[in-house]
Amino acid sequence: MNSVASKRLFQEYKHLTTDPPDGITAGPVNEDDLFVWEAMILGPEGTPYEGGVFPAELKFPKDYPLMPPTMRFLGGVWHPNVYPNGVVCISILHPPGDDPNHYEQASERWSPIQSVEKILISVMSMIAEPNDESPANVDAARMWRERRPEFEKRVRADVRRSLGL
Amino acid sequence: MAESAPQTSINIPQIIAVAFVGFFAIRWFLNKPSSPGSAPGSSSSSQRGQQPDLTKINQLATMFPQLDRRTIAWDLHRNGGSVPATTERVLSERGLDAPPVTWQPNIPAPGQQAPSASVGSGGARKEGSGRKEDDLITRYNLQGRVGGKGKEVVPSEEEQRKSAWSSDKAARAEGLRKRREEMVLAARRKLEAKGAEGA
Repeated sequence: MNSVASKRLFQEYKHLTTDPPDGITAGPVNEDDLFVWEAMILGPEGTPYEGGVFPAELKFPKDYPLMPPTMRFLGGVWHPNVYPNGVVCISILHPPGDDPNHYEQASERWSPIQSVEKILISVMSMIAEPNDESPANVDAARMWRERRPEFEKRVRADVRRSLGL
Repeated sequence: MAESAPQTSINIPQIIAVAFVGFFAIRWFLNKPSSPGSAPGSSSSSQRGQQPDLTKINQLATMFPQLDRRTIAWDLHRNGGSVPATTERVLSERGLDAPPVTWQPNIPAPGQQAPSASVGSGGARKEGSGRKEDDLITRYNLQGRVGGKGKEVVPSEEEQRKSAWSSDKAARAEGLRKRREEMVLAARRKLEAKGAEGA
C-alpha cells in the first residue's frame, strides 16, 4: 500500500466508486492486489452493442501511472479494435511518447494525467465508433466495413447470449 | 611413380576442400532444426510450426495470461523455441507481433483435448468463442436470480448510484460485487423486456 502506484490506484478506485460515470463499474478484483481490476462497460446506446454488459480485466504495471495498464475483455467482443483474445487495442493504452510510425499523436497515447476512468470512457466510445484504420481483429473489421448488417446481427446475438437469453 | 606423384599432389587439396565443405554442409544440416531465425518457409521449420512445443507455450501463457496462445506460439516459432527470448520480447516495449492470419498451428487450449486444426476461423478465435459460452449469468453466479418472476427487489437508479465509499474493506468489496451483479441483472431485464416487446 505504500507505493505510488498503489496509492494512486486506491484513489482512482475511490473516485470511481463514489462518482462512477454512466454505464461503468470498476474496481480491484481483490483489494489485497490493487494491480488487477475488473471493469464492466455497458454497451453504448444506439449501437448494436446496446444493452450488453462487457466485463474486462485491467492489469496495471508496477510503475503505473507512468506506464498504462492492459485491458482485456473477458469472453471476447466482436469488434474491429478488439483482438480475438479480448485484448483492447486503443491509443490511450499505448505507452507514452511519440508513435514510431507517426500514426498516433503523442497526446492520444497514455500519460500519467490519464486515468482508469478516461480509459473506460475512451473504450466505450471506441465500441460505438470502431477505428477502421488499425484493426486488431481483421475479420471483424472486414465484416464491419463490407457487411454491416451481418456484423450488427452477430453483435446483437452475442449480447443476448452473453446475458443468458 | 613419376606420373602419379603430381596427381596425388592435386588430389589432396581437392579432398581436403571437399571434406571441409562436406563438414560444414553436414553441420549446417544438423544444426538447422534448432538454429534461430531459419526461413519460415522451409519444410522443417514449418513442420515444427504445426506442432508447437506445448510445454513452452503453457509456461509462457502462465507467465503472461493476457497473451494469446497463438501469438506466443508464433514468437516461439520464429525465435527457434527460446522461452527467454520470447519473455524478453514480451517485456520489451514492442511486445510480440501478431501472427499472420495464414499461420494456424494446432494449439490445444489448456485443459482440453487438442481440437482438430481449425480452418479459416483461426485457433485463437476458437478459444475466444469457447470462453464466450460462459455467459455473465454463469460467471457471476446469478442463476438463482434470473428466470424467476423478476420480482426480487430492484434497487432504484438513485440507490445504485449513491454507492457510498465505506471505510471497511469488506463492505467496499461487497458493494462493488453488488453493483456488478446489478449491472448484469438490469441489462438482462432490459433486454428481456425489449425482446418481449418485439415479439
